Amino acid sequence: MTVELQHPMKADATAEEVARGRFVSGIRGLILNDLAADMKDGYEKRAEPAFRKAHGRAPETSREAHQALRGDPAFNIYSAMRVQAQKMVWASVADSVERESERLAAEAEKASGSLALNSDLEIPRNVHAVDVHLMPGSYTRGGDGLEAGAVYDRGLAIFSMGLMGANLDDIGLSMANYIKLRFPDFAPERILDTGCTIGHNTLPWKQAYPDAEVIAIDAAPGPLAYGAARAKMQGQDVRFEQMLADDLKFEDSSMDVVWSSMFLHELSKKQRAEALAEAYRVLKPGGLMVHMELPPNGEMSAFDGFYLDWDSYYNNEPYYKGFRDENPPEICAAAGFAAEDFFQFVVPSIGIYGEEAVAKAAKGDAQEAVGQQTTGRLAEGVMWFGFGAWKK
Amino acid sequence: MSETPLQPEDAPPGLYDENGNARFFADPAMDRFVAVVMNLAQEVWVQEERLLALEEDKGRAPVDRDAVAKEFIDRVFAPVRGA
Repeated sequence: MTVELQHPMKADATAEEVARGRFVSGIRGLILNDLAADMKDGYEKRAEPAFRKAHGRAPETSREAHQALRGDPAFNIYSAMRVQAQKMVWASVADSVERESERLAAEAEKASGSLALNSDLEIPRNVHAVDVHLMPGSYTRGGDGLEAGAVYDRGLAIFSMGLMGANLDDIGLSMANYIKLRFPDFAPERILDTGCTIGHNTLPWKQAYPDAEVIAIDAAPGPLAYGAARAKMQGQDVRFEQMLADDLKFEDSSMDVVWSSMFLHELSKKQRAEALAEAYRVLKPGGLMVHMELPPNGEMSAFDGFYLDWDSYYNNEPYYKGFRDENPPEICAAAGFAAEDFFQFVVPSIGIYGEEAVAKAAKGDAQEAVGQQTTGRLAEGVMWFGFGAWKK
Repeated sequence: MSETPLQPEDAPPGLYDENGNARFFADPAMDRFVAVVMNLAQEVWVQEERLLALEEDKGRAPVDRDAVAKEFIDRVFAPVRGA
């Protein structure tokens, strides 16, 4: 499905660029649905039996499933095509971003979003030393200009195949609505999004809690500049600040919500532990930490675990598997949260399943399993995994 | 970019070539060949959309391009299914 972004910085793309993007979304659909099913068949019919024959047992971990699959024809074609499709995502939008750089700058200036950059901040290696998601130049492409944000926004529209909605905010919408419905008496006044990139999953929190002050932080300046303008263009009053999640510049007990989406897996183990500890520090008593993330390996089969871990090895996500090998209750407890205040959940995508399904999940009428195939897998029927804890 | 690429600590040996690119096939040329085929298919699809636009200019009823693209991709890549 072709996605057209919902703000003035959307691409004024040529017919050829639209066609290129449509092809990439389409080929990703083939890979992530059909070839993924073929790879699972190959695992069950060839890879798993071969591993069993060699080791006297089935693969028990994601790492062993990976070991079993290496060299299997279905794994090879799935992987080689998925890597190339990922490169094509970014290539498909690079020309339009370059051509429209002056218009983008003018639109951003006109929007005048709320932005505070910190030129003294040392950007961590995980942000700049690897082309995360195989995106050339990563999050620091173009410095503090709009290039990285525009490439990310337009690329994500192609990458997501419509599964993140026209405003790329399905994760934020699904999660914020879930929290609001599950905890109807909770009325946060100050919400912090850590590792926000362009703030696409920040805005739903402002929509869910319009009276709250919403602040979005990230280490990379360019996506923040883009995100600040993007938010303002959509009438959302959100402040964007350049800051590290593991070194917050906010006072103790000053936030009601600390949120992130698809962020913790991009941090090293040490950074992640510090980010969670910082979340605990800045939350007020009664405040909520909540993260949307990939489900943990401990709750998935070896194959389904490796299916998600694929990104760690082949999509430049070096800390992805390390995060998924961790146990969410344990890392929350290590940050200071009481064990009884931890919770985890699966939310049906609000764009696919509708508000009613989110409401049913929030009210406990429909419990989705963390380890099921659709959890966290960007393909038909995707559901989102979340975990968090209250600070008492 | 840093001089030392970040890679997963537990990556099995042989996953990447000397430039850090992922390798899947026994013959590294196959990895490149897959990329060539996909690029070529994309170029053909771009021409297909041009033709659709021309035909629509001449009175053909508009078609659902996403659906036609899916049919095109399914047809072109049918040989890799069921690997």
